[in-house]
Amino acid sequence: MSLVPLPDVCDAVLLDADQIATRVAELGREIVHDHRGEELRLVTVLRGGLFFLADLARAIEAPLTIDFMAVSPYTPGRGGVVRVTKDLDDDIEGATVILVEDVVDTGLTINYVLSMLRARSPGRLEVCALLDKSARRIADVPVAYRGFRAPDRFLVGYGLDLAGRYRNLPFVATMSDEALGA
Amino acid sequence: MSDDTANTPHSPVTASHPLDTIEFAHPSERVAAEILDFYRIEWQYEPTTFPIEWDAKGQVIASFSPDFYLPEFDLYIELTTMSQKLVTKKNRKVRRLKELYPDVNIKIFYQKDFRRLLQRFGMAAEEQPLREGGGIVAKTAEGPEADD
Repeated sequence: MSLVPLPDVCDAVLLDADQIATRVAELGREIVHDHRGEELRLVTVLRGGLFFLADLARAIEAPLTIDFMAVSPYTPGRGGVVRVTKDLDDDIEGATVILVEDVVDTGLTINYVLSMLRARSPGRLEVCALLDKSARRIADVPVAYRGFRAPDRFLVGYGLDLAGRYRNLPFVATMSDEALGA
Repeated sequence: MSDDTANTPHSPVTASHPLDTIEFAHPSERVAAEILDFYRIEWQYEPTTFPIEWDAKGQVIASFSPDFYLPEFDLYIELTTMSQKLVTKKNRKVRRLKELYPDVNIKIFYQKDFRRLLQRFGMAAEEQPLREGGGIVAKTAEGPEADD
């Protein structure tokens, strides 16, 4: 049971820290089972996947490296196109890469990141998402490892944010409609 | 967002055209087009009109033109930013389209979906006066980073 209080902007805890830890451990075992003999490269897109990556990496009892990338966010009215603002440090050609994501929602960002990674010819490229929120899915993203199916709610905590806040909550919570102005 | 009764197919309008050359039926459609452009998703605006109702003589009396088609995902998207109580007619048309064209993939985004999508991209939504088309439109606000 977490001692961290639920922020006022939230109306309920969706997944507590124990539920997350249990599922992350299971995902770690699944990944080890499916990738025996392979050295894994865990990659995440800053900053939402940071906490999940850290926990998942420690749940995988196999050799691995971690790497990070970041992409520019959509800014209303400014036009332009998404671009990489922080690239991977390591070459991934021929490597087994697992893209670790906090949530797959519209899939637009992940679709772009996957296309970038595919162009670098990894040996294997898979997605591991803690939360799979399919209600507004636009890009058909293949999720090989899924922590939980998420409801059609605005979520914060365990990496998920609102204006950069609430990422450090040890649980995933649903934001209240009042806080969202709905 | 139009649901006209014409039976004339629309000419495909691709993303290679500047946004300003397209007469979007609603401001929310332009925002959606900007988001798709940003993520380098090819789109077409109302490229297809599907007949969905005929009279006894076989003349089309109702048809439906989904707002966007995304070739990469073979997916049509319909934005409905009007309040929920006003979308019954639209729902009926989408349901009829699915019955008549079961191989067509279409996803409808309701007002609450669009509102949450905007919030995901750091925008808030505000009600638009009925005289300006009603529904909701985007306004800049604080939001999360695009890392979904």
